[in-house]
Amino acid sequence: MIFERSVLGYLFRKLAGRKQAQENQDTGAYQGANSKELNASHGTDSKQTNTNQRTGAPGQVFKAQIIARNYTLAAALLFGTQGIVALLGAIDLIIPDLPSPIPFEYGRSIHLGLAVLWPLIGTMGMVYYFVTEDLDREIFSPRLAKWQFWLVLAASLSIYASLTFRLGRGREYLEGLPLSYAGISLALGLFSYNLMRTLIKHKQRITPAAMIMTAGSVLLLMFLIPNILSVTNPIADEATKFWVVHAWEEMAFELTTSGFLASYLKNTGLAAKKDIEKWLYLEAALTVAAGLFGTGHHYYWIGFPAYWLLVGFLFSFLQLIPVALLVLMVYKGLKKRPQLGNRQKLTLALILSSMLYHVTGASLLGFIITVPWINLYMHGTYITSGHAHLALFGSLGFLVLGGSYYILSRGTQPDRKTYRRGIMAVLALNVGLLTMSTALIIAGFLQAYRARYLGMNFMEVNLQLNLYLSARAAGGAIFTSGDLLLTWQILKAWRKSKNAVS
Amino acid sequence: MRLRTFALVSLLLVAAFTGANITSWKLPYPMPEDAQEGKAVWQKHNCVSCHTLFGNGGYVGDDMTNILKRRTAEDVQHYLTNPPVMRPNREHLHPALEPGEAEFLTSYLRFVGDIPTLGWPPEPRGAKQ
Repeated sequence: MIFERSVLGYLFRKLAGRKQAQENQDTGAYQGANSKELNASHGTDSKQTNTNQRTGAPGQVFKAQIIARNYTLAAALLFGTQGIVALLGAIDLIIPDLPSPIPFEYGRSIHLGLAVLWPLIGTMGMVYYFVTEDLDREIFSPRLAKWQFWLVLAASLSIYASLTFRLGRGREYLEGLPLSYAGISLALGLFSYNLMRTLIKHKQRITPAAMIMTAGSVLLLMFLIPNILSVTNPIADEATKFWVVHAWEEMAFELTTSGFLASYLKNTGLAAKKDIEKWLYLEAALTVAAGLFGTGHHYYWIGFPAYWLLVGFLFSFLQLIPVALLVLMVYKGLKKRPQLGNRQKLTLALILSSMLYHVTGASLLGFIITVPWINLYMHGTYITSGHAHLALFGSLGFLVLGGSYYILSRGTQPDRKTYRRGIMAVLALNVGLLTMSTALIIAGFLQAYRARYLGMNFMEVNLQLNLYLSARAAGGAIFTSGDLLLTWQILKAWRKSKNAVS
Repeated sequence: MRLRTFALVSLLLVAAFTGANITSWKLPYPMPEDAQEGKAVWQKHNCVSCHTLFGNGGYVGDDMTNILKRRTAEDVQHYLTNPPVMRPNREHLHPALEPGEAEFLTSYLRFVGDIPTLGWPPEPRGAKQ
C-alpha cells in the first residue's frame, strides 16, 4: 500500500509537474499575446512586442523559431553550394574535354537535386517560424522539429553523396536513390504531423496563413510519396515526376509562399490583418485547383489523352489569377511606404525580386509556352530551361532567401556597409539570373526554329549555340558571385544574431 | 471562403486530379519484359541528363522518343556499344553500354516510340515547304 502510494504519488507529482510546465509554457505564450492585445488597445503597433522594427531586437522567441534557424541556415549554405556546382556545369558545356572528377550528366543531376531541396529545407524553417508567429503559440513538439531537421538534412546530403559516386536512378529532379526520398518523405510526414497537431492544439487561434502553410506542407508530402519508387509504366513515371516538378512548385510551395507573405506582412505591421486575410482562402483554393490541373501542360506529349491539351491550357491560364492576388497582397502591404530598417529593406529586396519573376518568368512566360501549338515546338529546348531558372530560383528561391535572411537576422540590424553588400548581392543575383535566362531563351528559340521547325539536325544546331551558352556561363559567374556574397552576409547575420535570439 | 470549405475543396480537387491521372496513363499494350529492362538501363546510365524522352530531360542531346523511326535498331546498338567522340569534344566519348544493355535499351525505345504522343516530336514544317 505504501509502495502503491509512493508510485502513485510519484506519478501524480510527475504529471502535475508536466501540467505545471505546460501551463507555464502556455502562459508564457499567452503573456505575449496579451501584451500584443494590450498594445493594440493602446493604439501601438502590436508586433513591436515581438520584434522591434527599428532596432530588430527580438521580443518573445519560441523554440520553433530557434529551430527554424537551423533549417534556414542549411538552406542558405546549400544555396551557396548550388551556385558553384551550376557554374561548373555551365563551363563544362562550353569548354571541350574539360577534365572533371564528376561527369556532366551527374553534375547536372546534383544541380537539379539541389535546386529542389534547398528551397524545401528553407521552406520547412519558414513555415515553422511563421506558423508560430501567426498563432503566437509554440508548435506541438519542438523536439520532433529538431529530429526532422537532421533527417531531412541527412537524406538530402545522401543524394549529393550518392550522385558524386555516380549512383542515382536517372529520374530528372528526383535523381537520388529511393532510400533518400523515403527519408525526405518521413521528414515531411513528421513536419505535417507536427503542424497539424499544432493547429489542433490551438484551434481557436487558427489563422488563414497558418492553415494554408500547413496545407502546403501536407501536399508536399502527398505528392512526394508516389515518387519514392519509380514505376515501370513510362507514362505514369513521367506524370508522377511532375507531381514534384510542377505540383510542388506551382501549388504546394505557392501555398507556403502565400502563407509566409501574409504572415510576414501582417506580423511586421506592414499591412492590416483584414486586408491580408480577406481573400487568402479563396486565393489558396484557386492555387490548389490551378496548380494541380495546370500540371496538365506537362502531360501534352507523354501519352495522355488529348483532353489534357485543353485542361492543361485552361488551368495554366487560371494560374495567373492567384498570382495576381498574391501581388495585390504585397502591393497593399507596401503602398503606405512605411519607414523601414535595413534588415526589412534587404528582406523586401529579396521578396520583391521574387515577385518580379513570379509575374514575368514563372507566370507570363510559363503561360505562353503552355499554349499547345507553341509548346509543341518550344518544348524540350533551352527555353524550358530558361523558364525553369526564372520560376524555380527567380520565384521560389528569392523568396526562401528573403525568409531565411529575415529569420537568421532576427534581433540585429545590418550596418550601412553590410546592407550595401547585401543589396549588391541581390543585384548580382538579378543581373546573373536575367543574363542566364535570356541567353537560354535565345538558344531555345534557335533550337525550336532550326531543329523543330526547319528540320535541321539537332546536334548540328546545338554546335551553333556556343555563343549563347557562353553568355549563360558569364551570367552564371555573375550569379555565383552574388550567391556567395549573399550567403556570406546571411552567415554574418546568423553569427551576429546568435546571442540575441538565444 | 472559410477553413472547412477550403479543406474540403482541396481534398476533392486532389482526389479528382489523382483519379484523372490514373485513368490517363494507360499503355497502348503491355510493356514487354525486355523493354522494362531497357527502362532500367536508361535510368541506370542517367541518359535523361543529356537526352529527352517525350521532350523531357536534358537539352544537349537529341530527343529519343521516336529515334527508331529515324535509325535502325542495329545502328542505335552499334552507336551505344562503339560510342563515337561527342562533338565539340575531341576525346570525350559518348558513354558505352554492354551489348545486352544496348539491346534492352533499343527495346525500350521501340516501346516508347509506339506510345501515342499527340504529334510529338513535331514534323518539321519548313522542311516540307
